[in-house]
This record gives sequence, structure tokens and C-alpha cells, in this order.
Amino acid sequence: MANFLAQFQSIKSTSDRLVISVEDVSDLWPAVKPAFEARLPFKQGSLNNKTRNPVLVEKLPAEFILTTDSRLRSRFPQEQLLFWFREPYATIVLVTCEDLDEFKTILKPRLKLIVQNDEREWFIVFVSRAHPANDKASAMAKKVYAKLEVEFNTKKRERCCKYDIHSPESNFWEDLESKIMECIRNTLDKRVQFYEEEIRKLSEQRLMPVWNFCNFFILKESLAFMFEMAHLHDDALREYDELELCYIETVNNTGKQRDFGGADHGDDQAALLNPGNKALTQIVQDDSFREFEFRQYLFACQSKLLLKLNRLFEVASRGYSFIISFSKSLALHERILPFCMRETWVVTACLALIDAILSNYNDGLMAPDIEKRFFHLLGDLYSLARVKFMRLAYLIGYGTEIERSPVNSAALSLLSWPKPAVWPSVPADASAEVLEKEKVILQTTSRTKPFGIQRKPLPLEPTVLLREANRRRASLSAGNAFETFDGRQGITEGSGFDASTRMSPSQKVPPSSIPRTNSSPGNFDGSIDRPMRLAEIFVAAEHALKKTISSQELLKSLSSSEEFEQKYLELTKGAADNYHRSLWKRHGVVLDGEIAAVSFKHGHFDQAAKSYEKVCALYSGEGWQDLLAEVLPNLAECQKILNDQAGYLLSCVRLLSLDEGLFLNEERQAFQSELVRLAHSELKDPVPLDVSSLITFSGNPGPPLELCDRDPGTLSVTVWSGFPDDITLDSINLTIVPTSSADEGAKALQSSTPNVLHPGRNTITLDLPPQKPGSYVLGVLTGQIGQLRFRSHSFSKIGPADTDDFMSYEKPAKPILKVLRPRALVDLDAAVSSPLLTNERQWIGILVRPINYSLKGAVLYIDTGPGLEIDDSHVIEMETYADVSENDDNKVQKDGAQIDSLNYEKKVERLTLHNGKIEFPNWASDTPSIIWVLVRAMSDMLSRGSSSVTTRRESIVDAMRTIALNLEFGVYHNQIFERTLAVHFTYPFYVTTRVTDKCNDGTLLLQVILHSEVKATLTIYDAWLDLQHGFIHNGQTEGRPSSSLFPLVISPTSKAGILFSICLGKTNGEEDRKQQESILNIKYGISGDRTIGAHPPVMDESTKVDDARQELIFKNAITLQRPVLDPCLAVGFLPLPSDGLRVGQLVKMQWRVERLKDLDEKEVPEQNDEVLYEVKANSGNWMIAGRKRGHVSLSPKQGARIIISVLCMPLVAGYVRPPHLGLPDVDEADVSCKPAGPHLVCVLPPALSSSFCIPVNS
Amino acid sequence: MATTACFIIVSRNDIPIYEAEVGVAAKREDAAQLHQFILHAALDIVQDLAWTTSAMYLKSVDRFNDLVVSVYVTAVDALPFNIGLDVDVAVVSKEEWTLLNPLYLPGSRITSSHFDTKVRALARKYL
Repeated sequence: MANFLAQFQSIKSTSDRLVISVEDVSDLWPAVKPAFEARLPFKQGSLNNKTRNPVLVEKLPAEFILTTDSRLRSRFPQEQLLFWFREPYATIVLVTCEDLDEFKTILKPRLKLIVQNDEREWFIVFVSRAHPANDKASAMAKKVYAKLEVEFNTKKRERCCKYDIHSPESNFWEDLESKIMECIRNTLDKRVQFYEEEIRKLSEQRLMPVWNFCNFFILKESLAFMFEMAHLHDDALREYDELELCYIETVNNTGKQRDFGGADHGDDQAALLNPGNKALTQIVQDDSFREFEFRQYLFACQSKLLLKLNRLFEVASRGYSFIISFSKSLALHERILPFCMRETWVVTACLALIDAILSNYNDGLMAPDIEKRFFHLLGDLYSLARVKFMRLAYLIGYGTEIERSPVNSAALSLLSWPKPAVWPSVPADASAEVLEKEKVILQTTSRTKPFGIQRKPLPLEPTVLLREANRRRASLSAGNAFETFDGRQGITEGSGFDASTRMSPSQKVPPSSIPRTNSSPGNFDGSIDRPMRLAEIFVAAEHALKKTISSQELLKSLSSSEEFEQKYLELTKGAADNYHRSLWKRHGVVLDGEIAAVSFKHGHFDQAAKSYEKVCALYSGEGWQDLLAEVLPNLAECQKILNDQAGYLLSCVRLLSLDEGLFLNEERQAFQSELVRLAHSELKDPVPLDVSSLITFSGNPGPPLELCDRDPGTLSVTVWSGFPDDITLDSINLTIVPTSSADEGAKALQSSTPNVLHPGRNTITLDLPPQKPGSYVLGVLTGQIGQLRFRSHSFSKIGPADTDDFMSYEKPAKPILKVLRPRALVDLDAAVSSPLLTNERQWIGILVRPINYSLKGAVLYIDTGPGLEIDDSHVIEMETYADVSENDDNKVQKDGAQIDSLNYEKKVERLTLHNGKIEFPNWASDTPSIIWVLVRAMSDMLSRGSSSVTTRRESIVDAMRTIALNLEFGVYHNQIFERTLAVHFTYPFYVTTRVTDKCNDGTLLLQVILHSEVKATLTIYDAWLDLQHGFIHNGQTEGRPSSSLFPLVISPTSKAGILFSICLGKTNGEEDRKQQESILNIKYGISGDRTIGAHPPVMDESTKVDDARQELIFKNAITLQRPVLDPCLAVGFLPLPSDGLRVGQLVKMQWRVERLKDLDEKEVPEQNDEVLYEVKANSGNWMIAGRKRGHVSLSPKQGARIIISVLCMPLVAGYVRPPHLGLPDVDEADVSCKPAGPHLVCVLPPALSSSFCIPVNS
Repeated sequence: MATTACFIIVSRNDIPIYEAEVGVAAKREDAAQLHQFILHAALDIVQDLAWTTSAMYLKSVDRFNDLVVSVYVTAVDALPFNIGLDVDVAVVSKEEWTLLNPLYLPGSRITSSHFDTKVRALARKYL
């Protein structure tokens, strides 16, 4: 079989294209060969694939070989069948003939002989050598060709075509190609069928003992190769896939212990893309192949086809799976393979695959989705190579160069150590190298973490290498029980970690202390040989690896730590880039962090910081704190070195805001002290810093603080500090934001409490100046520590467990402050509405009613208006006010203080007015109260009585006095309430008079009616009348009524009457003459309550006499008129013209003045015959022409009369008062007018045509 | 049978809101870190895969050496991903829904000790 295999391989290597044989009957081939070969390779051929479906082959390489060629002639029939794929796929018979007879006699029989072999696909090309100019020859050639066609063409198939050497027909080449293609297609179909049949036959025998995989392989690969030659790559690939399946099945089923392979030099370099790496004959083993080489061979064939098909994604995905599965196979046979063969193979395989893929990669050809997956596969390949490479490097002592980051730790600590049959031992002459390594180990100090973080470094090894290596050496010598155990573990590719944790508890040998403590031999027991020290292990591994690794490049990469680092960076960057391109940001960014670590080591802090920032942003954005805690200190270190103060501070804050369990308390304190140190000393300019994750705040639970408009207050806010220690802040401010109006900016509040934040919960109080009405929510917390301006936006929840800064859900902002709309907080009103006594000391009651607002410490300023003065004693009384009626109504609605007001003991307190202000006692802060202020309303005017005939002309204004009140209240006297109260003062009585009767003897009975004006009972003790000139008292009463009448009690608002008997008469006294008015004197007393109205005037303390009747005097002026029937003169208004008055028309007003009786001699002035008259008129209504005032002569005799005419012109239409004629010199009582009272005249509007003048108003 | 397992609930923004290390094996010191790292990296795969299938339970989406990552993708905001190492996440996740407080604020950390106890009990039951 091996012979066939060798032959097969040589045939395969020589024949790489389809063969078309040329039967050159007439020695034409040399002449036509160039033209024929110029058509190669064929374009646009249509072939059938394995499932007989037509497939368009764009480029089909082929070769023309003469049948006489040695390559075709020397084959044995058996070989022909076995390697049928190399046999010609078409036969072209080249003929020419210029004579019909020759054709019949010679050519035809020969051709018949040639074509009788049915196995071949043939057709005849008739070559005409006739020159186109030679018509005869051309005609003959046509004839011969026609004969040829008749002979060899059938109805089903045309087998002839004609080629003119000198001028080929236009469609000849197409015709030729289609005929060739038809032949190839038919041959291919036939051969596929043949191979399939053969393969089927062999497959059926698969379970038989005689079955030979090599035979099956030759057949299967022949078919695959044939497809490949025919450029049917898909079909070829499928054959290889089937072959692989069949092989794996064979390997697994036979149960024979086979040689795995891989022990040759150079096998460590993966040959998964090079099918010709080893001759098949080298790897054949009995009836099959060695797994190590053959599986790589199969994959190489597959990948070659895939690359031809340009299916790079498939190459990558199949390649990755292949490497993984092959690596497992290598693990199974690790004991027989060279040391670290598996790792080396994986590294080279990944790199070879990546190279092959990238060299074939053209951007933009893949669908985006596929491309994404393609890149992540590339990333995986890089990553895999990187991990294995790191493992190799660790074994030879470059472990200290590898960053102990989560990604490296996860990759390496879960990857079991190599399991060679025996761990390599130190070569004899390597003591110098051991010393060197020892030195390196001793010199290496693990990098101290920033902030003195004591965190244990993450492990890079599944178990302690020292122990593992020595154990493996010992197991060979002693054959101990570990060996069998490990063998079992190895078979299942199980977790070496788990096994070894059980056996060698890692807590006894912490990984961080490998180099020092365990390098002494005394620590290890249980082995026969002297255990190796770590440096020896490294040296031994290095020597073993040098034997294993054949790739110079890989050796170079492991030759020094610099070279290692370069390769490490290359692989890391490759992985990171591809992961980024595949949008696997988590994978990519993490590897960026590894690149950053290298940059950091080399002092490229800028680059390192950038990459670390990306990593930190990823972890912190997604809240994976354990991972963040690993990277963030590195970033902080970079920033510190770069003097990026803001960044460094932020990193400190972020470190502090991580879960408390992630760092020790001392470490957290170190972060804090670093922050404080920077803030206070190093920063020159203020640096803003967001500490939202560290300091959070919330309003107190419960309802929001409610404030009235204009009230200041203090706001209490809970602040959570994430600092491990107390931290002193220079200031804390908090803004509150109104919820209603967006345009109004936030307002900053200053904390009034000491600015020391304890760890955990703190309560700070903020002074709250008066705010506009509305609801407010907490805004931003700002503050300052040294030059550090921090701010926090983060609302905390209840409890310290929730101080998570990554919660980005929207928290409904709860209002913490409500400023109520302006409302009445207090009401000031007059306690009594009924009038008080004028000119007496009276209590004014001011009702102070707080409306759900405390008046604690309130101050009331009292200022009296004109005509009112506060009593000099400045005594104020204040008492609680219990309005029974109101309480009945509102008992249910009002709050407790008011409901219970009835139950309160009535409080009365005497206060003093200082500088016009009263300070409220505390008891009055919530309950309504009345302030009684002692005042006196001053009035100089005498009360005037009036005739009962005339209506009373009241002037409220005269009786009113005002009192201005200004109440300052609220906590900071910020609330001000102003009100001016009007207080009504009055005289106790209103007097009307009337002459009830005129007796025959001239006695007039004057009735004086006293109307009580106050809500108090008045008692009249005495009354007398001082009469004016012209009147005298009648009889001996001296103007007093009978004393038996008194005391006369007048109930509130009722009337009483007193009758005086007077008569006209003359007194002699001079004083009486001057007295123009009669004065009514009333001595009275008053009994009233200040809560109702007028009350007895307050007596001075000094003058007060107990039980003394308080008598007051009320004086009232009364004007008595002489009887109207006794005038001296009569003035009569003469009737107006009957046609009425009209605006603008002059009218003569006439009055007749008549002397009714003789003038009294005594009263007659010197010019007694003259009477002064005066016409009064409203100048707006009338224009008066002529004298308004003048003397007219009137005889003093009774009956004398005169008519006074005045020319007037009315100016306005309507009912107007006419001008009035008065006699100024004559007492009013002596004039009788007619009409008696004021009257109106009708003035018509002006005629349309008339013109008039309007006097200019002066 | 797995001896160590880690169970993490990841919120909408890929934030871990609940984390439980369960299992009978002696716990590695750096297990939390290791498991977090592996599960965090697996989110890359989950975010690709979750949209390509209608299945909620994505078994073995990722392997990291011997550790297998399985995910239960939920259709609710509260618990979008239940991602676990070597846990029958589907069963745990389904039962865990019934444990969740109706007043739970989506996105916040689950700190309820009751919930934790129940999840651990469930994990013991199915591990």
C-alpha cells in the first residue's frame, strides 16, 4: 500500500491540471499548438458538481498532451484505474485531408479505429490548410469536411469542427471550447461516478478487519483532487471533510494503540497550512496514518481550499476550533511529546493561521456581521497565542515581567501546568545560568502598589511551580500515587487546579512568596532526588524548550526579557485591535490595560494613563468594582506622576467610593490623606472635582419643610460621607432648585453647622433665606477643601448600604421645601365697632388674630392719627380673646389651639408702650388676643344740635380717628403686617330741638330730644339751658327742668326728651348779647363696657375715688330762631316769563322786598332807609348782568316795598337753582322768603340758531 | 458536577446588581475577581448572541478554560441578564423572579438578605 501511496503522492504533485489528449493523425499539432494553447486556461466553463448540478467555473486550467507523449503511453491499465483522475478528460483528433478518395480509403478507417474506444470522450478537429485565395482547395476541403461530418456526427452529438489555419471561422474557438468542455464534463461525471462507487464499496467494508484506511484515503483524496483540478473547490472540501470524519472515527473506533506522532524535530511548528510538510509515506502507520501529522495534513488541505474560495472567516473559525481540539489531543499525548510541545505548537499554529488569513484579507469584502465575527476570531487566535506564549515565558523565568492583572491571572491561573512524563532537569553544565537566574530572581522586587495597597497579587500560576516541577520529577523516581491521579486528570483535560488545591493547599504556600521562601530546599520533602530550586527549574525549562522549539523566531522571542516583551506586546496589541474591530469592547479594553502596564513599566506614563482610563471607564461605567479596584490605583499612579492633579484627585475619589470591602481601612485612609494633602498644599489653582460617588445627600424623610412666604428657615439635610475618616471641609453649600419654574436658577445655601463630615451619616443644617413661593428640591452639593472645589449631584437613599454611585436610575425628586403662597398670617381689627366717647379717655380694642402662624416675639407699633392721642400713662392691656360665636362655627375646622380657646383661662396682662411699640407676651403668640390702648380723641368743636325739621347732617369723617398699626412678627421679625384702623368717636348724645308749641302768652315750649349715640346706658343727672340772646327762660326754673325728672336713664340708642319753657325776651347783660347760640348742658354718667363700645372714661389712678359717681358734662349748641311769623322783611321771587327760560336768553329776575313792620328804632342803623342786597348765583349756571350787590332805598315804614331786578342769562339747560337774593345786613330770622326753601327753575336748551357766549372760567 | 459556581444578575446597563458565589469547593482567594472578570468578558458574547436568538436560556455561551458561562436573558428590565458560571441559570432565574420584591427599584442593587438566602438555597438545590 505504501507503494501506491508514494506513487499517488508523486502523481498528485506532478499533475495539477486537467489533461486533454491530442491524437495527431496528420502531424498537424506543431502547426496548431500555439493557437490552441493560447486558449488556456479556459474561461467560463460549465461543469457538474458531485450532485450533478451545473457549476460555472470561471477559470479552468488544462494541458494539451499528445497521445504519443511518454506520460500517457507508459501507464499500466491498473494504475490507470487507480489514478484515473490524471487521465485525459478529452481527446482531440486532429485530421486533415485534401482528397475525397484519401479520406475514404485511408483517413476514415483510421479514425474509426481511433474512436471505437468508448471510454474516451473525443471529437475531431478538421484542419484546413487551404489558402482562402485558393478556391479549389477550399472547395475540396469543404467537401471532405462535409463527408467527415456525415460519417462522425450523430443526431445527438456533433463531434466535428473545422479549423482554417489561415483564417479561422469566427465561432471556431467557442465551438472548440464548448466541445472540450462537453468532453470534460462527461468524463468528470463518469469518473465521479466511478469513484463514488468505489468509495461506497470501501465504506461498506469499513467495519471489517481487512479494511484499510489508506486505500480509502487514496480513493477519497483522488476524488477530492479531481474536484480540485476541475476547480470545484466546494466539492473537494466536502470530500476532505468526509475524510476527516472518517479518519476520526477510525482512530477512535479501532481501539488500537497507535503512535501519535509529533516526536520529530520541527513538529513543534504547526504545519496546519502546509499539506506538503511531510510525505504521506512518512506518516503512514499500518493501515492508517499517524494522528499528529495526518490531522494537520487534512486541515492544511481544507484550509488551502478555503483560502482558494476566499472564505477567510471559515478559515479562521475552523482553524480556531482545530487548534483548540488539536491542543486537547496534544494534551492527551503530552507525556510522550517533548516538553511544552503543546504550548509551542499552539503558539506557532495561531501565528501561522493569523499570517495566512491576514495575507489573504482584503478589506470590505465580507458582510459586516461576518466581519465582526471574523475579527473576534482573530482576536481569539491572538489571545490564545498570547496566553500560551506567556506560559512558556513564565516557565523560563519571565514571570516577573508579566503583569498580575485580572486578565492574565484568569488566563494563566486556570491553565494547568505542562504535564511532561518527567520534568526536565538541570543540565550538568548550567550552574552559571542557574546562578544568573538566581540573581535575577533576587534582584526582582515586586512592584509596590501605589498608596501602599496591601492587596495580594493575583496568581499567574495554577499551583506553585516549584512544587509541581519537583513533584513531577519525584513521581518518576518514586512512582508515587500522584502520578496515577494526574494521568486520570489529564485524560479528561480536567482542572489541574482543583486537583492540586486538594493536594497541596495553597494557603500553606502563598503564591506571592514563591521566589524567596520556597527556593530553599529544606521546605520540600517527599522526593528522592534533591528538589530543584526555582532558578534551576527555570534553567531546566529553558534548556528543554530550546530542544523542543525549532522555530528560530519563537526562540528569539524567548531569548531575553526584552524580546519576550516585544512579542508579548505584539500579541496583546493584535488581540486588542481585533477585539476592538469586532466591537468586543470588554475584551479589547482589558487588553489595552495590559499594553498600558508595559507602557507604565517603561515610563510612558502618558500612554499608560490613556489606556488605563479606558479600562477604568469600562469597569466603572458598568460597575464591576472588583475589577476596577485592580486597575484604578495604577491609573492614579500614572496621573500622579504626570502631575494631572484633577485626574489624580478624581481617581482618589473613585478609589474611596468603591465598595468598602475592596480595600483595607488603612488604604482608604491613605487615599483620603492623599486627597486632603493635595487639596491643602500642592494645588495652586482651585480644582473642580465631582465627588458624586463619594458624598451623597438627601433631604430628611417625611414631609417637606413648609415655610410661609418671606420666612427664613433652617433646612436640615442628611449627607453621607464615604470617607473612611472625618474630613474637614472649608465650606459646604447646597443649592435648592424650584420645581415649578425652570428659568429660575438654583439658589445656593450655606451650611451653618461645623463643616466636619464623619464617615457615614451626617446631618447638616443650612440657613434658608426667604424664598419665593413654590416647591424646591435639592440640587447640587458643593464645597471646598483647601483648593479643591467639589460638587456632588447624587441623591443618596436611606441607609449606608445603598451608597452606590453607579445607580443611574432616575430618582423622583422629592421636594424638601415648600414655600407657601403669600397669605394672611395675622389679622388686626378693631375689637369694637360702636363709637367711643370723644374727648374722654377711652379704651380702643385692637383684635390681634394670628392665622395659623405664631406671633412669638411679635412687636406692634402703634401710631395715632390726627385728633387722637395715646394717653400719657401709656398703659396697654392685653387679654385673650374668646369669640364665642366664631368658635361655635369653626370649632371643627380650626386647629387645637383655637378649639380649646374656651377652656383657656382668660389671661390679662398689663403692658407698657415703649416708644410707640408693644412687645407681645408669649401666651399671645398663638391665640387671638385684644390689645386695649387708652386714647383720647380730641375735638374742639362743640356738638351742635339741629332742628327736628331739618335732616341731620352727619359728618362721619369728623367723628373718625385713625390709628396706624404695624405688626412685626416671624422668627426674624421678617413678616410685617400693616393696617390702619378707623375708630369712630362720638358725643354721647345727638340733640334735636323743636318748638312744640307757642302759647298765647308768648311762651315757647322747646323740646330737646336727646338721642343716645353710644352702646351704653346713659344716666342724665342734670340738664340746663343757657339761652342765647333774644330768649329768656320762663318762670323761675333758671333753665332747668324739674329736678324730679333726674336721674333720667337712657338706654343705648334710645331717645329722651326734655321740655324747656322759654319765651322771647331780652336780657340786659352784655354777655348774653354776644351769645349767639343757646348751650344745652347735660350732666350725665355712662355705664358701658369697653368690649361693646363707649364706656366710662378711665380715671387717673391718682384722682380716682372709689365708688364716686362719675359725672360728665355734655355741652351742645342749639340755635334758636325767632318765630318765622315775625319777620321784618319779606323777599318774594317774582314769577318768571311764561315762555320759560332758555339758554343764552336774557331774562329779568325780579324780587320784591317788602317791609312787613316798622323797624325797631333801636335796631335801625343810621342809614335805615337803605337795604343792602346781594344776588348770589352759581356762576356756572348763570351770568348776571348788572349789579350783584348794592343798596336800595326802602322806607322804614311798614308796607314799603321795592322790586329789585337783575338781568340774568342762564348758561346751562336743565333744572337749576335760580339766583338768590339775600339781605346781608338783615338777620336771617327777620327775613321771610318766598318760596321758603331752595327751589329750581327749568331752563330750556338754546334755540338752534341762536348764539351765546360762555364766560371764561376764571 | 461543578464544584464552584458564581451567579450574577446584570442590570440593563451591564451593571452587576446581585452576585453570589455558591459552590461546595474551597473558595479560591481571588475567586470573586476571577469570576467577575470572566463573566464581565462574557457580556461581549451575550450582547451579540442575545439578539440573534429567541431563546432566553443561552447555555454555554462562553468557556474559559474549565469554566462554562451560561446566561438567562430575561425580557424584563429589572433583571436583563442572569449570568452564571456552572449554574443551571435557567432554573435559578425562573424561581428568582418569584422572589423579587414588587417594590424593587429597577437598576438598583439587590441587597435583600432574604433574596440572597433564597438564591443560595436554590443554588444548593440544583448544583
